[in-house]
Amino acid sequence: MRLDRELTCAQLVEVITDYLEGALAPVDVERVEEHLVFCDGCTTYLEQMRATVAMAGRLRAEDIPPELQERLLGTFREWRRL
Amino acid sequence: MAAPVIAYKFLDEGRVAPFTRYRWPEGEWVETPAAVPCEAGIHACRVADLPFWLGRELWEVELDGDVIAFERKVVAPRGRLTRRVEAWNRSLAGEFAAALLVHTRRRFGSVPVLSGFVGDIAQFRATNRVPLAGFAAARAAELSGGPRAYEEERLRQAHWLADRLALGEH
Repeated sequence: MRLDRELTCAQLVEVITDYLEGALAPVDVERVEEHLVFCDGCTTYLEQMRATVAMAGRLRAEDIPPELQERLLGTFREWRRL
Repeated sequence: MAAPVIAYKFLDEGRVAPFTRYRWPEGEWVETPAAVPCEAGIHACRVADLPFWLGRELWEVELDGDVIAFERKVVAPRGRLTRRVEAWNRSLAGEFAAALLVHTRRRFGSVPVLSGFVGDIAQFRATNRVPLAGFAAARAAELSGGPRAYEEERLRQAHWLADRLALGEH
């Protein structure tokens, strides 16, 4: 996928995970970062994603209470049926 | 001996890189194993790139090694901050936003739809969102004249900055 020269916020949200994982092509990284220079909303979103990744990255499977684990699995099963 | 390559870096307050959060030392060479655009290396702006990367502090940076030119930046394996461009400050950023407003109003103030950008830029100026004002001015130009007009407006902004900051062409 080649991103548009000037990204919209919606496009940035779509690729933010790839950006954080270093999976975007250099030209697309440049476009994401150009957008971040002037977009406070997307900058905040990126910071929130970074914080989420940092917190979730410390979680182990046993850290999730069985009840929550079951609810999550149930939600994923429902998604599959859509 | 080759002449040093002088470029520029916009940094957050305290010489902090906006994306990597690396705190730059002043005057010391910083080296990386390779120069790969957007992945590794010292990333910097040419004068024409400045409007895309506006930030709190502007620094002159000397680059060394093979300098790779990318779409809106240059990348090198070594670089050092040589001086802060003190003329880039909150006051001049405000003047830049005011100039964008005047220019956009003159070009599009009476053009249906595009005149809306004038109000947007006025608001961005009032709230110190200067990079967004620059983007809005370029978008108005693009909607009027296509992608080339966007680039031309950005180049016009770069010339304004270079002139007011007394920067050389690099």
